[in-house]
Amino acid sequence: MGMPGSTDDHQWSQQHLSHYVEGDLRPRARRRLDRHARDCADCGRGIRAMHALVYAVQGLDGLAGVRAPAAIFDRVRLAGPAGPPSSQHA
Amino acid sequence: MPPRAGGRAPDAADTEASLVARAQARDVGAFERLSGAYADRLFMLLLRLLGDRGEAEDVAQEVMLRAWQGIARFRGQSSYFTWLYRIAVNEANRALAKRARRPASVTIGADELQLPESAAQDPSRQAENSELRRSLGQALAELPPALRTAIVLRDVEGLSTQEAAEIAGIGQAAFKSRLHQARLRVRAAIGDETLTAIGG
Repeated sequence: MGMPGSTDDHQWSQQHLSHYVEGDLRPRARRRLDRHARDCADCGRGIRAMHALVYAVQGLDGLAGVRAPAAIFDRVRLAGPAGPPSSQHA
Repeated sequence: MPPRAGGRAPDAADTEASLVARAQARDVGAFERLSGAYADRLFMLLLRLLGDRGEAEDVAQEVMLRAWQGIARFRGQSSYFTWLYRIAVNEANRALAKRARRPASVTIGADELQLPESAAQDPSRQAENSELRRSLGQALAELPPALRTAIVLRDVEGLSTQEAAEIAGIGQAAFKSRLHQARLRVRAAIGDETLTAIGG
C-alpha cells in the first residue's frame, strides 16, 4: 500500500477528502492533495469512496411515496385562531 | 376544508406572501395551505432525523403548532421554508434530547432509505444496494444529532450550504466542519471497499 510523501501529507489528505469533493479547498491545498493522491493508493481510493458516499447519500432522497400524516394540523386546529403566543423566534 | 398536507406549492393566486399575511392575521386555512405545501418534505426530514415514524408524526404536529404560534414573528428575512425547517430541526433535537439515555437505539428503517429507481432496477445491483442502504441507515443513525442533521440537510435534502447552515442555526464554516466530520464517520463505518464497489 503506497503512502508516499510525508505521513503528515497522508494524514492531512485523509482528513480533507470531504473538503476536496465539496470543492472547499483553496487551490494550493487542492494541489497538495492532488499531488499526494497521485501516488498514494489509499488516498486515491479515499477520493473515489468519498464521491461514492456523497452520491449514495444523495440517492436516499427517493421518498416519493412518503406522505405527511393526515393529522399533522390537528394541534393547530385545536389551538384555533386564538392560539397562545409562543417563544419561537423568526 | 383546507387541502390535504402535501407537497404542492401555493399557486399564483395564493402567493406565499399573501398566505403568510393571512396566516399572521390568524387565518388557519391560509396557514394550512402555506405550510401544507412543505408538509411531506418536512415529514421526510423528521423521519431522517428521528428514525421513528411514530415519533416523527408526533414531532411533525408539534412543529406545525409552534409555527402557527410563532407565525406573527416571521419577518420574511429567510424563506418560509427555511423558517419552518429550522423549527423542525429544533423540535427534532428536542425530541432526541428527551431520549438521550438511549442514543444508540435510533434506527432508520429500510423503507425510509430508498435508492433511486435507476439503481434499483438492475437485479445484480439490488443486493448490493440493499446492503448499502442498510449500512448507510445504520451509519447515519449512529451519528451524533448535530452531525446527522448536517449530512441530512446538505447531502440528502440537497440544500445549499448557506440554507442548511441557516436551518441548523450555525455559521457556514461551522456547518461545513460538521458536514465533513459526518462524512468521514460514515465513510469509516461503511468502508472504502464497499463504497468504491458501488461507484459514484
